[in-house]
Amino acid sequence: MNFGHPNGPALLWGIGTAVVGLLLTYGLSNAPPSWRRPAVTICTFLAGAVYVAYFLWPKAQDRGPHDIPRGFSESVAFWLQDAVPVAGNIANTLSIFLLGLGIYSLMRIHLKRLFGMHKDWFFSGVVIVSMLTMVVAGYWNYYLVKYGPNAAVLSAGPAQWTPLNRFYDILFDGLYQTMDAAMFSIIAFYILSAAYRAFRVRSVEATILLAAALLMMLSLMGPFVQLWNSGVGGHSAFVDNFKIDEIAMWIRKSFQEPGIRALQFGVGLGALAMGLRLWLSLERGGVN
Amino acid sequence: MQYYDTGWLAVAFTVLLVFFILFNIFRAGKSTGLYIRRIPGLTAIDEAIGRATEMGRPVLMVPGLGDLNAISIQALKIFAYVTRTAARFSTPIRLCTSVAPVYTVAQEIVRDVYQSEGLIDRYDQDSVQFLSDRQFAFAAAVGGLILREQTAATFFLGEFYAESLIFAETANAIGAIQVAGSTENTQTPFFIAACDYVLIADEFYAASAYLTRQPVLVGSLIGQDWSKLSIMVAIMIGFLSVAVQRNMTTTVHTDDSGVTHQVAAHKTLENETIAYHMFNPRTPPPLATPRQQEQGAAGGGK
Repeated sequence: MNFGHPNGPALLWGIGTAVVGLLLTYGLSNAPPSWRRPAVTICTFLAGAVYVAYFLWPKAQDRGPHDIPRGFSESVAFWLQDAVPVAGNIANTLSIFLLGLGIYSLMRIHLKRLFGMHKDWFFSGVVIVSMLTMVVAGYWNYYLVKYGPNAAVLSAGPAQWTPLNRFYDILFDGLYQTMDAAMFSIIAFYILSAAYRAFRVRSVEATILLAAALLMMLSLMGPFVQLWNSGVGGHSAFVDNFKIDEIAMWIRKSFQEPGIRALQFGVGLGALAMGLRLWLSLERGGVN
Repeated sequence: MQYYDTGWLAVAFTVLLVFFILFNIFRAGKSTGLYIRRIPGLTAIDEAIGRATEMGRPVLMVPGLGDLNAISIQALKIFAYVTRTAARFSTPIRLCTSVAPVYTVAQEIVRDVYQSEGLIDRYDQDSVQFLSDRQFAFAAAVGGLILREQTAATFFLGEFYAESLIFAETANAIGAIQVAGSTENTQTPFFIAACDYVLIADEFYAASAYLTRQPVLVGSLIGQDWSKLSIMVAIMIGFLSVAVQRNMTTTVHTDDSGVTHQVAAHKTLENETIAYHMFNPRTPPPLATPRQQEQGAAGGGK
């Protein structure tokens, strides 16, 4: 293994992190239950405290890469600025461990269904084969493009690609991206059916919704706007307010935007309260 | 020491809101008689599970696409309530996630719920599933699951994006009773159009307080109400101060770096008002005392 490679230290860090992570997981799994809660509480508090302090502490101005802080306040500001990415990296590392558990769950469910020949076992087979093929092709392609003997040539463009690179391209761009786009396109049909139900006049609220939506849609149709505005425009400043684009703007500015902002205030405050309860471990257990 | 003017008022206001919430959490103590208005979306949870039980079909829960954050945790707390009720009636559940950390936490919560109810024998390890971390692959998988298993009740609570309508319309097509709530304002209209009950904005966060009436949670909710009132007052003060100031004549202009100049008399501009400067940090001047550099570092200080 060539640790002198530009990515060598990163590889070492990766291996070191994996070992430490596994040891910590083993330690926590085998710790007495009475220790686990305080350990989680302390870790949560410390991790959150870094972000809280970073938010509250004044930021150091124009920091250069080799600057020495000029006092206590600036030392703390520098330290916090450096600590936040570290806390983020730790969170990312934990996520990677948990991704392994997710993949394990996926494999377990589908292998069980496949070998047990349960209903729709064929689709489980497709999932497993697709996943394994994509993983192998993806990593192989990555190796060839990044570290392979012809890495520089392969990175230059498709003209020099090997069959493996082309195979990966077919899997990713040809199949995966296309199917992704197809799923996204289906939303257009769902919007139509949902809009049909939403616009049925069943109550006062539905009628108001229908009227507002109709005006908004009409205000986006050029010929109709022209027709409407030529009818009401030019008589007086007051009547000009009834041009359809003015009405649409009024609905947007006076109802839609304030409404959305009010909802955002509520959501923000809810997230703040929830975050505080989690940070201070006031939020415990499931809903009883 | 020179620092950026980071808009101290915004930080101070946030600290005030935090104080309101914490103060009310501790004030609530053990009192249980605090009132919370009725939220139809949450009242409908039991109805939806009851329907699934009668039909002998599963209940589906999806906590959205968000990472393991306050939103996902809140969704999982509501799902814990759903799971508890479903467990008592032996109603099968399906909880699908697209984020691995959410999957692991969800699995622990669901298992804990069955264990605490003394019904661990009814716990199905496959009831919590990680499907895919790709948005539309996840949407396709959830849609397929809804159609294959003919879920009788669905709960879509959390961070949803473009896939929200795929879920809601697929479940609607098979006649499932749906309770949904998204913290993304752009998706809420889709849920309103396609679902039976929708939790709008902070109703989603009020759910655990509503369902459990725990003093800590209810106190937090009252703190949020205090915070909303203070935001309303701040908006009114800002509105009045800007309205008054914009109609006043001034001969002084303060630029973005905080330097004032004498100019011709004019009506106060928007960026000359007190409210504007309170929330918009000024561009700082260069450092008056340059910092020393680490030994061996090339170049001088700024």
